[in-house]
Amino acid sequence: MSYIHVEHLSKSFQIRKKREQGKLLREKQTIRALEDVSFEIEQGELIGYIGPNGAGKSTTVKILSGILTPDGGEALVGGRIPWRNRKEYVQHIGVVFGQRMQLWWDVPILESYSLLRDIYRVPETAYQKRLGELTEALNLGELLRTPLRQLSLGQRMRAELCGSLLHQPEILFLDEPTIGLDAVSKLALRDFLRWENREHRTTILLTTHDMEDIAALCARVMVLGHGRKLYDGSLQELLHRYDRTRTVDIRYDADGILPTLPDSVAVQREGDGLRLTYQPEKLATAELLALLQQAGPIREMTVQPQNIDHLIADMYREMGL
Amino acid sequence: MNTVRLYIRSMGILLKSQLQYPLSFLLQTLAQLIMEGGEMLAVVLLMDRFDHLHQWTPGDLYFFFGLMSVTFYLAECFGRGITGNFPSMVRTGQLDTLLIRPRGILTQVLCSAVDPRRIACILVGTVSLILGSRMSQVEWTAAHVLLLTESIFCGFWLILGLFLIEAILCIHSVKSVEIANAITYGGRSACQYPVDAFPRSLRTLFTVIAPFALVMHVPASRILGKPIFGWPAWTAWISPLTGPAVFAVMMLLFAKAMRFYRSTGS
Repeated sequence: MSYIHVEHLSKSFQIRKKREQGKLLREKQTIRALEDVSFEIEQGELIGYIGPNGAGKSTTVKILSGILTPDGGEALVGGRIPWRNRKEYVQHIGVVFGQRMQLWWDVPILESYSLLRDIYRVPETAYQKRLGELTEALNLGELLRTPLRQLSLGQRMRAELCGSLLHQPEILFLDEPTIGLDAVSKLALRDFLRWENREHRTTILLTTHDMEDIAALCARVMVLGHGRKLYDGSLQELLHRYDRTRTVDIRYDADGILPTLPDSVAVQREGDGLRLTYQPEKLATAELLALLQQAGPIREMTVQPQNIDHLIADMYREMGL
Repeated sequence: MNTVRLYIRSMGILLKSQLQYPLSFLLQTLAQLIMEGGEMLAVVLLMDRFDHLHQWTPGDLYFFFGLMSVTFYLAECFGRGITGNFPSMVRTGQLDTLLIRPRGILTQVLCSAVDPRRIACILVGTVSLILGSRMSQVEWTAAHVLLLTESIFCGFWLILGLFLIEAILCIHSVKSVEIANAITYGGRSACQYPVDAFPRSLRTLFTVIAPFALVMHVPASRILGKPIFGWPAWTAWISPLTGPAVFAVMMLLFAKAMRFYRSTGS
């Protein structure tokens, strides 16, 4: 059986609506956070889990990390049921919430780590080895004696990652780890996740809104919307399905040249050049090129695929999210 | 054993964090001293006006006040995770980070906070205890020392147990601070005086429901040589045990509430 086995998982929440005028009791409303979600994940996979806000991503992560109990369906992670025997189960998992820190705020991070060692009962030799390896991979060496509060957001996220991996979990759940990070920190984080996944075959489930994260890390991606699984497969194929427009930036030798193009191409002035948007299925790229060349000598030109964020937005729209 | 070690190490880390801001720490401790000193002054002024309250002399009342003060603030000092932090942990979802660690929730909550500023209040209480026992000429036999220690120890757990009520209610997302405070802080204010000074309804509340009287007044009045309720001597050894009993019951209810939390989420 697969490492993670999830079948017909569902979960709903009752929330109280604001009391309407003239009514004594507040009405309750049921929100279906997850409906009949099933999937399998193999050991050592690095999977992206995406969907708009409120799609049920965090609920899934919370159920799989034993914080919540589902209403129905089953889940097995490494042969264990997450919401049974919580204390035994969480010994095998690591969780990083992007917006919730677990390290102690005012003390050097090294002290936080040694407290986590006690909490997880990690033997001293294993702890030293793991700590050395992680501080090197995450480039934390010089920060170990600095209190968490003095670290930048990017450094803090690296410190958190180290803390949640000290007990060498089999699986790591990441809930929006790159939120608010600068480009350098993001790249470092991605490199690290790839390293951890390769070196220790740690299974990683990555929840994110940053499509670049997914493109850089995950061979497989699952899309969730309104509590249902909408897509499960390679990112390439997902993109291919919704990737229908291309952008051309073009500059002619002479100013003011405007090629004659069919209506399906949108034309926009960008500085002293033009930006064209077209759909290859309506107008073949070769045909477009021919039309552009007819208008005059071209100085420079680039053809770009659609921005991945736009693409996902289009996809959500088409899926009715 | 491992849990005790973890607790001690956590306390070390927390103390170190608090001392990162030494001036703020000092000023707040001073504020605590003034606050609790004021409370004690109220008792002193009261006894200056009336030279006794029923059968109780001023010395007796300082003794009762000191006992409550020491016990209550020991609980607030070491139980800070329960008495102070827990509701905000639920509200902000920080509780989730405890659930993903392989330790009991209550253990982690207790490990998550300590309030050393309360040392000032404990100091005032100790002074009051000593003063009261001098004035009432308490004989410090081994039995009396043991009885006082038992009373403080059991009172500590009683107070934490009562504070757990608020924690339990806030997991069920009930805004209930007032009800819970009536029993905890109200209990402290009322029961720094011996319970027989109150009308029957309050006496019942603080004997049967929140048994401050059983945990503190019964043993204290025995030490002072004026047993309350006219109960036999051995009861002074038994009745404080209701404190840990209350804590045990609340602990079970807390575990039940945590199951509720895990099925509904934040």
